[in-house]
Amino acid sequence: MKGATGRTTLGFRRTALTGAVLATALGGGAILVACGAGGQDGAGGGPAKLSVADSYIPLPPAGGMAAGYLTVRNDGGQDQLLKVSSPGAESVTMHRSTPSSMEEVASLDVPAHGALQFARGGTHLMIMGWQKAPALGDELELDLTFAKSGTLSVKVPVKELTYRPSQS
Amino acid sequence: MPRTTRTTRLAGAAAVALAAALTLTACGSSGGGSAPTKVTRQKADSPYQGTVLTKNFEKPDLQLTDTSGQPYDLRQQTNGKTTLLFFGYTSCPDVCPTTMGDIGVAMKALSPEDRQKVNVVFVSTDPQRDTPKVLRTWLDSMGSDFIGLTGDLAKVKTAARSLGIMIEDPVVNADGTVTSTHGAQVLAFLPSDDKAHVLYLSGTEEKTYEHDLPLLAKGVAA
Repeated sequence: MKGATGRTTLGFRRTALTGAVLATALGGGAILVACGAGGQDGAGGGPAKLSVADSYIPLPPAGGMAAGYLTVRNDGGQDQLLKVSSPGAESVTMHRSTPSSMEEVASLDVPAHGALQFARGGTHLMIMGWQKAPALGDELELDLTFAKSGTLSVKVPVKELTYRPSQS
Repeated sequence: MPRTTRTTRLAGAAAVALAAALTLTACGSSGGGSAPTKVTRQKADSPYQGTVLTKNFEKPDLQLTDTSGQPYDLRQQTNGKTTLLFFGYTSCPDVCPTTMGDIGVAMKALSPEDRQKVNVVFVSTDPQRDTPKVLRTWLDSMGSDFIGLTGDLAKVKTAARSLGIMIEDPVVNADGTVTSTHGAQVLAFLPSDDKAHVLYLSGTEEKTYEHDLPLLAKGVAA
């Protein structure tokens, strides 16, 4: 058969090829295990596969206006974050800090096989009108609505004012 | 031999594939991993990690109201004392609390003796909303000894401009929220001449403040 012929003539090369394919496949497996958020398998563009990580709300200094930060990971095709809301707050808006001010943004792209990252001094959520003044250890539900993936609900913990997820 | 070359290349491809997988997997560890770009530059002969200024701004001549409602003269009352100066507003969710919070953490790392030598001054760019009481409550989260100043915005704008900081009037948004401007930097004035010698762009890591504050407190030349 084809395989048998191939083995005799291209034995070594074939091994190397198999290795490459295997490594890729295994790598892919690891990605799914690490970050997978469920959803259908989709090669290439396919549907978005979103998950949220590293979410936190720094305890607002005067109990009022707060920021929110998180990372939306995407192991699938492109999507777009359209809206964020919370049952525990009157308003949640998306903003981008500029060197000396900030501007509201209507939507944010979640790149294919990439991440949308909210971070200090950059893109952040502005949360106002708390039903209950936030305290350390509280969790606030945020509902993230995407163009293609629908709404993802996450519980976001309230951390110290100067907390950063990269600092252990 | 051509086959060997090819095999090597293929193995290389496998390695790339693995590396890519690892990179992607690493997204689990922290928020994207890309550390904020270092904004500070180190002058070869400076002990400071902050940006050393070549133009040493005078401390602005600024009279406002402090958080106890008393008149405060910036030049007079911080005369001969190390002073960190930041312009911002309390309904600023991101940059202002992050900057002041990081300074607060670094201040707490100072010895009580050094801490007494440093004034941290926050000047409001939104005086209409930032009353002395509002300022006090907000600042208490970062440092109960932080000085908050509020008052005539025109004076604040003039003072900021003299330091190369552009402050605009607050803008009332359609939803009733107010967006003001904040400085993009914290300026450190040394006690020796009451002039600005070191600058910290917003986004400066807390560790940088922690490194520099003992030097600033002692008035070490930049």
